[in-house]
Amino acid sequence: MGNGLVKDIWVLSKRSVLTTLRSPFSFIPNLLISTFFLLVYDSGLSGISQLPAFDGANYLAFILPVSVVSAAIGGAGGAGQGIVKDIENGFFSRLLLTPASRLSIVLGPIIAGMLQLFVQTILILIVAFLMGLEVATGFLGVLVVLLLAVGWGLAFAGYSAGIALKTKNAQAAQAGTLIFFPLIFLSTTFVPYELIESSWLKVAATINPTTYIFESMRTVLIDGWKFWGIAKGIIAIMIACAITITFAALSAKKAVSRG
Amino acid sequence: MVKGTIYVEHLSKIFKKGNVQAVKDVSFAVEEGEFFAFLGPNGAGKSTTVQIVTTLISPSAGKVYVAEQDVLTNPKGVREHIGVALQETGIDPSLTGREMLHLQCRIFGFTNKQAKLRTSELLEVVQLREAADRICGNYSGGMRRRLDLALTLVNKPKILFLDEPTTGLDPSNRKSIWNYLHRLNKEEGTTIFLTTQYLEEADTLADRISIIDDGEIVATGTPQELKAQIGNDIIAMNFENEGEAEKAEAAITQNMPGTDFVKRSTELNLYVQNGTKRLMEIVRLLDQENLAPQTINVNTPTLDDIFLKITAESEQKRGGVEHG
Repeated sequence: MGNGLVKDIWVLSKRSVLTTLRSPFSFIPNLLISTFFLLVYDSGLSGISQLPAFDGANYLAFILPVSVVSAAIGGAGGAGQGIVKDIENGFFSRLLLTPASRLSIVLGPIIAGMLQLFVQTILILIVAFLMGLEVATGFLGVLVVLLLAVGWGLAFAGYSAGIALKTKNAQAAQAGTLIFFPLIFLSTTFVPYELIESSWLKVAATINPTTYIFESMRTVLIDGWKFWGIAKGIIAIMIACAITITFAALSAKKAVSRG
Repeated sequence: MVKGTIYVEHLSKIFKKGNVQAVKDVSFAVEEGEFFAFLGPNGAGKSTTVQIVTTLISPSAGKVYVAEQDVLTNPKGVREHIGVALQETGIDPSLTGREMLHLQCRIFGFTNKQAKLRTSELLEVVQLREAADRICGNYSGGMRRRLDLALTLVNKPKILFLDEPTTGLDPSNRKSIWNYLHRLNKEEGTTIFLTTQYLEEADTLADRISIIDDGEIVATGTPQELKAQIGNDIIAMNFENEGEAEKAEAAITQNMPGTDFVKRSTELNLYVQNGTKRLMEIVRLLDQENLAPQTINVNTPTLDDIFLKITAESEQKRGGVEHG
């Protein structure tokens, strides 16, 4: 009786996906807001791309990463929400009472969250293309943007799942995601680094990992294959994932252990 | 094949939070095919015991073997052979009943085809076939309980653990759950460990009952044995003041030696075999002594009475309540 780890993960991820699809309001608002960002910022601010610091870049390509990252955060937050819901309705305990691998019980909602944000990112990219997006690195570049979004989402998913498993409280998990929201704006959100006036925001943007994600995506979308520009974001993702996934694993270990 | 036995020795659980000792040196053994009940009030330690023996939490001390597997060292081995329905149902409200059962089957290693078959079997057993394709978030309390029970049966467990499975259910749902459990135990030979607050439930279903109070087992026996221990009837009297109650107590000790009773402030409870007959004697005796209780009733024993008596006995050991 029982399964291998892979089948456990497969079965439980499938169920988490189904659960997500059954409550469309868990992801539709997030998707709408992210698309809204894209439309409004592009329509309202695209004039500033005339400034020399933009180097003739298309503002749509410049602002697209903001929309993608905000969707990723919302999507990844879903992983934590899913776990909290399971704990609250007793389903988490029911799973713990089965021979299912402990890892798969925690990984199921996280994988579903990743899939959710993968699909969201594709939808946003489609909207961007409909708005006239041109990508310097072509199709491969779009894939890189997608992977960066998923990678950054995974870092958030680890964080939100960690909070969920630690607090077992829906409000706390929600609030935990909110802390990351300002990070989108304390960065090179609307203009390049050189155009940021206030020194505190410059400092914030420098230490904010989101800045490097934006930079990576913008490099691919606007500048072309420039190694260092792309690598910065990947390094930021790796560091963030190492921290948040360790946090999630430790919280998970505590939550599934028999204290 | 492993046997559906439960063996618990000197089990204790101390929760560090609040430094509460929820289970105190509890030992018991359940044989294969036996229907065993833990009877006790809220907070007696029933749920904690269930959570320990079903691998959810670990004991502070003691040995626990379920289905011949050590709960501490081989929890997965235990989980494969047991079915557990906790006090709160464990259902994902966004799935349908059928999907929940199918998922549970898949987790236990069934192929898709086997899972389909087992799912429709179980839907039939718990009479949820018609509601099978509805989202279970919309099920009534009774339907949820039945689905939860079906989920615990997926792996044809050797041992079924049920933590207060009928609390909060209406009589008809309670009866139908009793029927399933009775059938499972008698026809399939499933060992059942049930916790309950209801004497009637333990009495109807269980082969053997342990009464648990404040983390300790205070009595164990067949329902008949336990009832015999307390007598068939209770004559309950309430006096105007404690002095009168004490006088009555003295009169009964003197004139009716061997009568089993418990006195608590102005109340005096007599445990007797034939209440109506003894009532006359008591009234006559009290009359002679010029004592008149404010109320006097003949009751059949309830869980409360058994508790009153048993806890009074353990208090008496510590030098508390007087006892005849």
